[in-house]
Amino acid sequence: MDDQTSILKSQLYDACQDACSNNPDKLFSQEDLMGLGVLPPKDVKKLLQIIQLLTKERLLAPVHFHNSLAWRLRSEADAAKYKQLTTEDQMLVYEIIDLAGAEGAWQQDIKKRLNLQDIALRKALKELESKRFIHQFTTVENATKKMWIKTGLQPSARATGGPWFTDQYLDEAFIDVLQSVVMRLIKEKGSYRSTGERSAARSVSPVLPKKGVIRGGMSEAAIKSKKRSVDAMSRDDAAAAAGPVSKFRGAVRIPLPAGYTDYPTTEDITASLVESQVAKGQPLKTEHVQELIDILVWENRIEEVRMGDQVGYRAVRISKQNPEYVKVDSEDFWEPRTNGLTTVPCGKCPVFELCEEGGPVWAGGCEYFDKWLA
Amino acid sequence: MLVTKNVAELCVLLIRELYGQLPSRIFADLLGRGRSTVVQIAQHTSLNFRQVRHGIAVLIQLNLIYHNTDPESGIVNYEANSYAAYNLTRTGKILDMVRNKYGNHGYTLVHEVLVQGHAKISDLVKAFQVRRNEQHEGANGANGASQNGTSHNGHNHVNGNGVTNGTDDLDMVYKDEDFDIEAQAFDNLAQLIAAGILEPVTPMAYQSPQDIRSTVEQEFMADYPTGLRGSKQTSEFERNVRDKLREIQGESTRLKRKLELEFTYELGAKRRKLTNGAAANEFSGAKARSVLLEEFDTVLRVNYDKCMVELRNLRLKRYAEDLIGNITAQVYETLLAVLSKKIPRCQVDRSIEVEEDNDDAHTGPRVTTQEVFEQLSSAIDVSAGIGFPSEDTIDIRRAEKIRRYPPQLKGSTLHQELEEGEEIVGSDDEDYDHSGEAAANYGYHGQNGSDDVKMQTDDGLPVGAARLHQMRQHLLILAESKEGFVRHCGGRDFGEWTVDFEPLMQHLKFVELDTIIENRFGRHGLRLTRILREKGKIDDKTLPSLALMKKPDVHVKMAEMEMGGFLDVQEVPRDNNRTAARTIFFWFFDLDRTLQRTVDNTCKSMVRCLQRLDVERLKRKDVLATAERKDVRGNEETMLRGYAYTEYVQFIDVEKKLLGQVMRLDDIVAVFRDY
Repeated sequence: MDDQTSILKSQLYDACQDACSNNPDKLFSQEDLMGLGVLPPKDVKKLLQIIQLLTKERLLAPVHFHNSLAWRLRSEADAAKYKQLTTEDQMLVYEIIDLAGAEGAWQQDIKKRLNLQDIALRKALKELESKRFIHQFTTVENATKKMWIKTGLQPSARATGGPWFTDQYLDEAFIDVLQSVVMRLIKEKGSYRSTGERSAARSVSPVLPKKGVIRGGMSEAAIKSKKRSVDAMSRDDAAAAAGPVSKFRGAVRIPLPAGYTDYPTTEDITASLVESQVAKGQPLKTEHVQELIDILVWENRIEEVRMGDQVGYRAVRISKQNPEYVKVDSEDFWEPRTNGLTTVPCGKCPVFELCEEGGPVWAGGCEYFDKWLA
Repeated sequence: MLVTKNVAELCVLLIRELYGQLPSRIFADLLGRGRSTVVQIAQHTSLNFRQVRHGIAVLIQLNLIYHNTDPESGIVNYEANSYAAYNLTRTGKILDMVRNKYGNHGYTLVHEVLVQGHAKISDLVKAFQVRRNEQHEGANGANGASQNGTSHNGHNHVNGNGVTNGTDDLDMVYKDEDFDIEAQAFDNLAQLIAAGILEPVTPMAYQSPQDIRSTVEQEFMADYPTGLRGSKQTSEFERNVRDKLREIQGESTRLKRKLELEFTYELGAKRRKLTNGAAANEFSGAKARSVLLEEFDTVLRVNYDKCMVELRNLRLKRYAEDLIGNITAQVYETLLAVLSKKIPRCQVDRSIEVEEDNDDAHTGPRVTTQEVFEQLSSAIDVSAGIGFPSEDTIDIRRAEKIRRYPPQLKGSTLHQELEEGEEIVGSDDEDYDHSGEAAANYGYHGQNGSDDVKMQTDDGLPVGAARLHQMRQHLLILAESKEGFVRHCGGRDFGEWTVDFEPLMQHLKFVELDTIIENRFGRHGLRLTRILREKGKIDDKTLPSLALMKKPDVHVKMAEMEMGGFLDVQEVPRDNNRTAARTIFFWFFDLDRTLQRTVDNTCKSMVRCLQRLDVERLKRKDVLATAERKDVRGNEETMLRGYAYTEYVQFIDVEKKLLGQVMRLDDIVAVFRDY
């Protein structure tokens, strides 16, 4: 190794470091490395030589990328770790785990790729663990898989399951609470809260529209600002309702007129959630909130409204919903919908298929009917 | 006509409940064995000929069976009409609807027709007079006795809506003491016929549709002695058959059209109020009466097709109330009432109407805002029921968007299909109703319009414009709703509206289904089925992450729902070993199957209710026997002794509950199958 080569080597490494300073996971192809302008153009032999050197020093890691070879930069501190490894096995195992990054590597996978004996692999892993280079973790996708990850890295969102998981377990309570909060936001912004005042005033003049009266109900400031006066109003109500609740017993929620453009969108809801800091410590992104919204849609609690090119959400059966804020699965969330099959015992009968005149179960001797008719 | 076992059982039970054992036995046999002759029936039921003939006469009188005489051999075949039999469940609902819409007199007439099966106009008028006089006497005699009618009705008919025709009647009778009862009968009859609730019976009504069709086909076949050759002849033949069938069907509406003409003539002169009992009396139907007098011998029966349209309206109103709000629902009811005048039946008759007639379906019945407004009851406060956001949040052009074409829908992935349909329609962005802008000036979209603005623009619009625009707001909400209660299809006369019943009913089927699922499997179950409906087939592994549920929970729920018959699973082995570990399990939701199952289960449930009722009757047979006695009936409270009376009251409660339940179950069947 002559001087020129070693200079070129360190120059190339520095150039690469600069190039990927804002994206540490950047991959370098052969063209990229040539394009850095360190090496004399078209001198492939030189490049090969230098890459070989760098790879040997573990400063570059070769990876497969789109059917061709590419290299990823490794920091000098990381590269130094390789030097502490004593056996070939350890080195190979560590390399796989290192390259797997935040996703982690499955023990079975390592074994298959290296074609190692089970004992040898376990020994290598144990040594690596004792040196505190790697540690074991579990993913939410398969709790029984033995996964290894480099020390100092956090398992990826896929492995931890994103904000919905706490210690590998789906945090249902957390989801439920967030769902209720989302429901509340949608209800608040996507409906109009009518209090008793209006109907009392109406009896005075049954034909004229109630413009004046409604204005009276709003604060002057709300009209002047012309900004989300409804929201402002219902927020006021909500604040007031926290005190003497009985005052708003007569309140109902009614739908907004067609063409309303201020139904909350996913972005709006995300912003409100972040602002209110409901989910402390869990960064909520739009896609996560979208998941929550989708679930509410699937549960028939809210529905989509198209507003031009945006999609807003509003609550369904708004007039049947409890005007106050309640949990999604609580009893008095709304007047439950019923039909014939939900009231008659047959709708929930576990032996409905067997039920037959003259059979083991029949209408005349049915204990569910007994209970229901009693 | 093929029916499932449960439907057959239900029909038989209904007939037994209403008309006794003999007809029900014959009907059961006809359902079980298809069309038969008297000899065959007698053989199978072990009844003698006299009994069979008697039973068949009853069934024919009630329109429950078809008969067909073979012109050559002269042999008569009988066939069960399971639809007619099923319609017996709706007796109570139809009477209730008639009373609300056409008043007590209409109720009396329709009641009479329902009891008789069919009746001549002359007989009906006579019966009406008798009834009125009875009530008159009853009213003069003792007010307390008015309960008489209640228990009587409750016993003899499937009439879950506990009938109380006491108080209203009395007032009417007093008021109309001098009114010519006969004229009253004629007026009401004319009204009912014009509305299509009653229709004249034609001989064809006793032949099954298939028979009529084959007769007509044979007639035309005579023109082609060498058989049909080529597509040209086939299509010509089919067209002829269709025209003839339509003509046959049109026969029964001849009287209706005649009367309608009279009505519109009279009504042109003086604007009609809502068709309620009071308005019916005001109308002086001298002309209509003379038309009916000419038709004194015409036989009338209840037109279930039209009644279904009216019942559907009620049902839709209830859905609108549930999903949007009370006042909007009342506006919707008015719109439906106006619209349904142009709708003779719920479902298009496929045998007569074919695609070529339907290609201009979007020009189907429609109403204008003006028409609806004229019929709007003054008791409805249209200014309420909608929120008032600040006016800059309203996009009038979107709200007023006109959709000229009905949405397309297919299969269970309703969600996507509808949106695609919207895409096509939505491309024409400029297409919106400008009458909304006038309203905006008045400030009905928000509360913008100050009084000066109002004064300036108030030139061409009639009085009550404010109210009209408020009503439009309700219609627009209905049009914007996800279910598509109405479609804003034109801009004439402050907007034209129509209802696409097919997609709307599809939505409502889902509503009912979701209700059942949610009630039975909780909201998590609902969530899972909705996911499957939207996404199609999904394997075991992706489902939990989509639903944000724990894997074991999902599995338990899915298995539960599969057992209940709401979901299906498909196994796709990854290799030839077919071990469970190497198999992908795809869950899916088969809509058609689920709907059919639900309908059948609902019928089964109705059967169980009726069977239970029989058992309850048997249990308290002694008390009931006493209560049936002529001297006890009507005075149960005084005649029955303490224990027996409580027993009797308990039974009435149970009966009410069970029959009411049958009604509610019928609602489900109606939504899934008939509307």
